[in-house]
Amino acid sequence: MRGGAIPLLAWATLLVVLLAINWIWTGDAIQVGSFAFAAAAIFAVALALIVGARRDALRRGPPQPTRDPETVPAASLGAVLVAVAVASIVFGLAFGHFLVYFGAGLLVVSLGMVLREWLAERRQRRAWLERERR
Amino acid sequence: MTVHSPPLRAPRWRSAGWVGALTSTDHKRIGLNLGLASFAFFLIGGVLALLMRAQLAEPNGQLVSDNTYSELFTMHGSTMIYLFVTPMAIALSMYLVPLQIGAISIAGPRAALTGFWTWLAGGLIMQSGWLSAGGAGRAGWFSYVPLSNGTNTPGVGQDLWVLGVILAASGTVVMAGCVLATIARRRAPGMALLRMPVFTWTGLVTVLMVVGSFPVLIVAMILLYIDRHGGNIYSGFSGAIDYQDLFWFFGHPVVYVMFFPYLGAAAEAIAVGANKRWFGYKAFVASVMAFAALSMSVWAHHMFTTGGVTNQYFAFTSTALVIPAGIEYFDVIGTVIGGAVVLRCSMLFGLTFFVQFLIGGLSGIFVASPVLDYSANNTYFIIAHFHYTLFAGSVFGFFAGVYHWFPKLTGALLRERLGKLQLAVMIVGTNLTFFPMFLVGEDGMPRRISRYAEHPGWATLNRLETAGSAIIAVGVAIFLVNLWVSLRRREPAGDDPWRGHTLEWATSSPPPPLNYEAPLPPIRSYAPLLDLRQHAEDREREKAPA
Repeated sequence: MRGGAIPLLAWATLLVVLLAINWIWTGDAIQVGSFAFAAAAIFAVALALIVGARRDALRRGPPQPTRDPETVPAASLGAVLVAVAVASIVFGLAFGHFLVYFGAGLLVVSLGMVLREWLAERRQRRAWLERERR
Repeated sequence: MTVHSPPLRAPRWRSAGWVGALTSTDHKRIGLNLGLASFAFFLIGGVLALLMRAQLAEPNGQLVSDNTYSELFTMHGSTMIYLFVTPMAIALSMYLVPLQIGAISIAGPRAALTGFWTWLAGGLIMQSGWLSAGGAGRAGWFSYVPLSNGTNTPGVGQDLWVLGVILAASGTVVMAGCVLATIARRRAPGMALLRMPVFTWTGLVTVLMVVGSFPVLIVAMILLYIDRHGGNIYSGFSGAIDYQDLFWFFGHPVVYVMFFPYLGAAAEAIAVGANKRWFGYKAFVASVMAFAALSMSVWAHHMFTTGGVTNQYFAFTSTALVIPAGIEYFDVIGTVIGGAVVLRCSMLFGLTFFVQFLIGGLSGIFVASPVLDYSANNTYFIIAHFHYTLFAGSVFGFFAGVYHWFPKLTGALLRERLGKLQLAVMIVGTNLTFFPMFLVGEDGMPRRISRYAEHPGWATLNRLETAGSAIIAVGVAIFLVNLWVSLRRREPAGDDPWRGHTLEWATSSPPPPLNYEAPLPPIRSYAPLLDLRQHAEDREREKAPA
């Protein structure tokens, strides 16, 4: 998407400037490390956008219309169960280890459900493109 | 003209009713669920605050024990910050940002749904501490070490607090990532960056701050959990300072995470209420970007008195915040002046947000000076300062947003009379609760104490604060009544009751599953619907005989 990475790069650059001043002024390893992480995280997202959308993410101007079909899921039980599984693992650390094992099992099942949904979505998209081509 | 290909729906497990609503990947449903859940947590946090104020209404209060009081202030702060103001800010962005930028859905809808449930599980786990033998977390919403380590705060309740924060923060990061990806990748054709609405810009800087700072909190909490279970991570003075550095690296940006979306909501309500374009749009965009970056570099002003940080740097960056904040205030004044102002509830809440936040902001300049902070530190002055920013500010901005967008969410209007009554009651309650805190704080009353001895003036001021908190509760009750009445006896709002400026008002109320059924209007500025109306008026004028 056109220009998507620009505000991220601008903001991360501002962080780098402030980080440099912090480094010079304080020289504190934890502070510089936390700050550097934040700047690096935003740069990483910007880089992912640039790689994903090639150079379009760096170009200014409005996005252009696209004919690519967009798949939109309506509901996802798998996505809910992923969260329940992770919560079960974490809660199990305080409540009882059986929940950790239950959560780990549920995580595998729920990730499988999400994968199945995603594959179904891809199939549908491919079928739609096929129909369009004909 | 927008050209979107027809969206596809994959065949999959489907359900209607409650289950369908709870598993829906529609960003509007996720945003609504998140908003409703966080509002429920707001009510819980409010009850905890009322109990605290009841305890402090008289000197030597005996309503609750010291231990219970520690639980109350810990869970009040934690509930309000991790489970209400922050997630509500994300809920607003989750619901509105795709609509405002002309997207038919959010990026990563399944991830957003997982994020919501992870956050909710975190909240419930944190609250489940009340049911544990030793009670809920009681080391403050910041849980400084060594106070929060396994020796000084033993028990499952504090563990549940730590684990709850980890999950709630993780869910928030995932949802913020989805909003960020939506803005970066899903804008409608024509929606250039500098044509994004004001609220979307505030949403963008909010999610940038979440992505940059929340992971540091998650790391700090994981290390705290290990430390509590014999890991010896944060040992000695340097360990305590390291924890504070990691915590406040999240803890100050989150103050602005809890500010920007409400600033955006108030700005939208004011611009529409003034029937005028938002004044100084580009300066506003630059100022929120700078404001957000600066807010990432001020965290250790919470640590001025520890002797473990370089105070000059953090005093410098903290004071520099007044420059972008000043630009935003100029923008509000510029928008209102010369506008055809209609004093609806949304507009009034928006203006009150700016006025009351000013008190919090100005007292912030005071405590940004290390010399002055030494005298104010650990007193009620600090409580007054941050409640003026977070409650007197953000919560009023939240209500501005609710009154502005409720018709879009439900298709019904909220009652204006009840809204204005709520506003009046809440202004009185808010200032009666929090202004006397400046006075008792200036007089040296320490925070986080469950009882205080007789002291000239303190009892009267504390009684006023308690009365004020009860008045706030009445204000919230009026809002709940307004919701009930407005949903039971619906006054149809139509699609665009306020003559809105941005794309969400171009669709039906409530919006359909894929947001827009008709093609979007041309997008030539950050106020496309206002452009359309002005264009139509110009044409009318041209047609009219000279």
